[in-house]
Amino acid sequence: MANEQIFVGLEIGTTKICVIVAESRADDQISILGVGETPSRGVRKGEIVDMATVTECVREAIVDAEEKTNVEIGNVWVAITGSHLRSFNNRGTHTLPHAGQIQQEDLDMVQANAKEVALPPPNTFLHTILQAYHLDGNRNVIDPLDSEGIQLEADFHIVHGIKTRITNHLRCVEELNLEIEDVVLSSLASAQVVVTQHQKDLGVLVIDIGGGTTDYLIYNDGAVRHSGVLAIGGDHITNDISVGLKLPIARAEMLKIQEGSATDPSESEGGVITLKNDPGFLGCDIDRRSLETIIHCRVKEIFELVRADIENAGGGMLGLLGAGVMITGGCAKLRGIAEVASEVFDQAVQVSTARNVGGALQTFENPQYSTAIGLTKYARLITKDAQPQGMLERITQGFGGLFKKGGR
Amino acid sequence: MSGSAPRRFLVGVGNAGLTVLDLLALNNPGMKGLLCVNNDPESLSASVVTDRLAVPEGDPSEGFLAIDGPFGDMVSGASSVVLCGGLGGESGSFLLPALAILAKSWGITVAACVGMPFSFEGKQKRELAASALEKLRTVCDAVAVIENDRLTGGSPSTAAVGEAFSLSDRTILAALQALQGMITNSGPVKITRSDIKSVLGVPGAVTLFGSGTAKGPNRLHEALEHALKSPLLTAPGKNTPGGALAGVSTVLLLLRGPADLSFAEVQVAVTEIERIAGEGCQIKTGVHADLSPDAPITLSITASSGGGQTAEKPTAEKSKTTLLSEIPEAKPLEPAAHVATRAKPEPAPVADSIKPVSSAKPIKSTAGASTKGAKQSAGKQTQGTLDLDSYQRGRFDKSEPTIVAGEDLDVPTFLRKGIKLTPPHRN
Repeated sequence: MANEQIFVGLEIGTTKICVIVAESRADDQISILGVGETPSRGVRKGEIVDMATVTECVREAIVDAEEKTNVEIGNVWVAITGSHLRSFNNRGTHTLPHAGQIQQEDLDMVQANAKEVALPPPNTFLHTILQAYHLDGNRNVIDPLDSEGIQLEADFHIVHGIKTRITNHLRCVEELNLEIEDVVLSSLASAQVVVTQHQKDLGVLVIDIGGGTTDYLIYNDGAVRHSGVLAIGGDHITNDISVGLKLPIARAEMLKIQEGSATDPSESEGGVITLKNDPGFLGCDIDRRSLETIIHCRVKEIFELVRADIENAGGGMLGLLGAGVMITGGCAKLRGIAEVASEVFDQAVQVSTARNVGGALQTFENPQYSTAIGLTKYARLITKDAQPQGMLERITQGFGGLFKKGGR
Repeated sequence: MSGSAPRRFLVGVGNAGLTVLDLLALNNPGMKGLLCVNNDPESLSASVVTDRLAVPEGDPSEGFLAIDGPFGDMVSGASSVVLCGGLGGESGSFLLPALAILAKSWGITVAACVGMPFSFEGKQKRELAASALEKLRTVCDAVAVIENDRLTGGSPSTAAVGEAFSLSDRTILAALQALQGMITNSGPVKITRSDIKSVLGVPGAVTLFGSGTAKGPNRLHEALEHALKSPLLTAPGKNTPGGALAGVSTVLLLLRGPADLSFAEVQVAVTEIERIAGEGCQIKTGVHADLSPDAPITLSITASSGGGQTAEKPTAEKSKTTLLSEIPEAKPLEPAAHVATRAKPEPAPVADSIKPVSSAKPIKSTAGASTKGAKQSAGKQTQGTLDLDSYQRGRFDKSEPTIVAGEDLDVPTFLRKGIKLTPPHRN
């Protein structure tokens, strides 16, 4: 990159492709210089289904960002999602031949051991995120480097996915002669800006509901404990409205944005929403309670599925959410969504946008940009540690290894 | 027949049965266990099925005596015989029950898949078909009945006659294959013969049947959608796919496909059928995951509605000659004099042989069950009654399904939960 202080986050979403250009400030914060954006085509449920079309959309978004910020973009950080992504926690163990100081190669060895698991054949590692070190029975050692010890253990949260799908995601960017700095799980990127370090320590569930997917991530004691992707998002709500009220998709989308509410229909005042005649569309009166029923059912189901997945993962993680639940993503703007989540999780719930960022105010106050903004913050956090290497090489090796410390 | 005689036979009887077996043979070159029986030498000679029995033209009862020996030589020792053909004509109406009786008297499991005549074929044909069907049902372990009128939506005037018969043949073929698949029981998940009897052994019941075939990433949904859209699974007077299944007590679901046919796909089909049929419905599932990797999956749904108790079936001990006396007194035929002379007359009419079976569950009436289902699923919702299609994925229709815990999450939540909405009011 010409300017080391400039970071570019690229999110190839189901409904939009978004490029955030941000600058690292002296006060350790990031400032958004501008946003490039274009409606997404060729992406379904967060995954590429038409590479040529997506490549063209990415090009448009990049050009848009360059024109708005006057920054020539050469390197990008790319978010990834999709139902093929899976995660699990695993512990690696490494015993030193003789008691002595823990070296960097020992840390690398314990991480490599944690990845000694049989992934499904088509899968590759995306992230190996450190949770905690344990040294000779001393639990939760923050930094064992240079400490004396024999048996080093470390817990990792490991994210993996189907290699070809990840590669296809990246090819759309590489086709434009852009260098990919790294590929980042969407929820991990969002979490960088929607929750504080204090909330990560207390325990927090971040749910990012986008157009095609719902991505979620749990922090506790400052480390990632669980993550998941559900291939259900705002597009499903729109589709439900379209099917239920027999409206064209575009009309259903407009109705969702303008009048949609996830509020429990039994608490609704009811009434009628009048849709006016348009060329090619015969106007009609919509029962508001029916609209709310459709949305409430879907939103509640999404949260219930997230809750069920977290419960199935074990560890009683839902009981460790001292900072409650944070909802972000485009669907976070849906009225009444926090109330539904609160009912399902029995936790305090907030709709959260990017925090501790400066610059274009309207951008970071909009939850639909959380992932792309989060990418730039993630980039700033790890740039000083990571030694960039070619993406193909990284895919071959698996995507892990970029983290040296937990809690990000 | 050679020494390695097939254990299972599909027997096409009459012109309709022969056409069905020809379709089957053309799609499955080299398939064994196919046998055509007909009294039309021209159509027999044109058939691609190699094993044929020509019934002498003229009085079918006389002709039958000429083939009962060869027929016995062919199928004796078989474990099952599935007969197919059309009822209402001379050959089918006489030969189908006669062959069923013969096979049954040898202790073979016998099932039949028959088509009932279109209304435009005349009252006499329909009466003859009804009589033959009654006889078949007293003999066979299972009878799948394809009501041709329902295939064309009850309005044959809008359908080309040739196309209507072709549709009938294809439907009989699909039902025949489904029935055969259920009986052969070779898959890891099986439908038992008692399951088949409980659905297709009910006298007077209307057979509900649909099948669909698809391949590709969305194969299960496409096959299921196609099956549910079958005219025989559509509620009369409505256009709701699978609507006729509402309230049935048992559904036979048969899935056949390559080895990668997944549990999740089976689960999706079961869940969707349960949702349509109602909570009280039992789904009996058979899975044959034995086809080549690039083969499509075929999904068939079989159920029945209405009808009475399960019929008492003749036992193997009952003599062949006694059973032959029960062959229908087909109007276009002369009384089966030759048969009668060989047979010991049965004093009781066939209907008397149908005895109530205390353990047999009466099939719920569709209307009653669907009301109950709606009440259960609607929950607290007290809103109106938008008549929604039962199976809609909207914009996700062609996309890879999102399946979690066996549920297809692309189907709107309110539909899966059976919640009714107030329809929009057009200005």
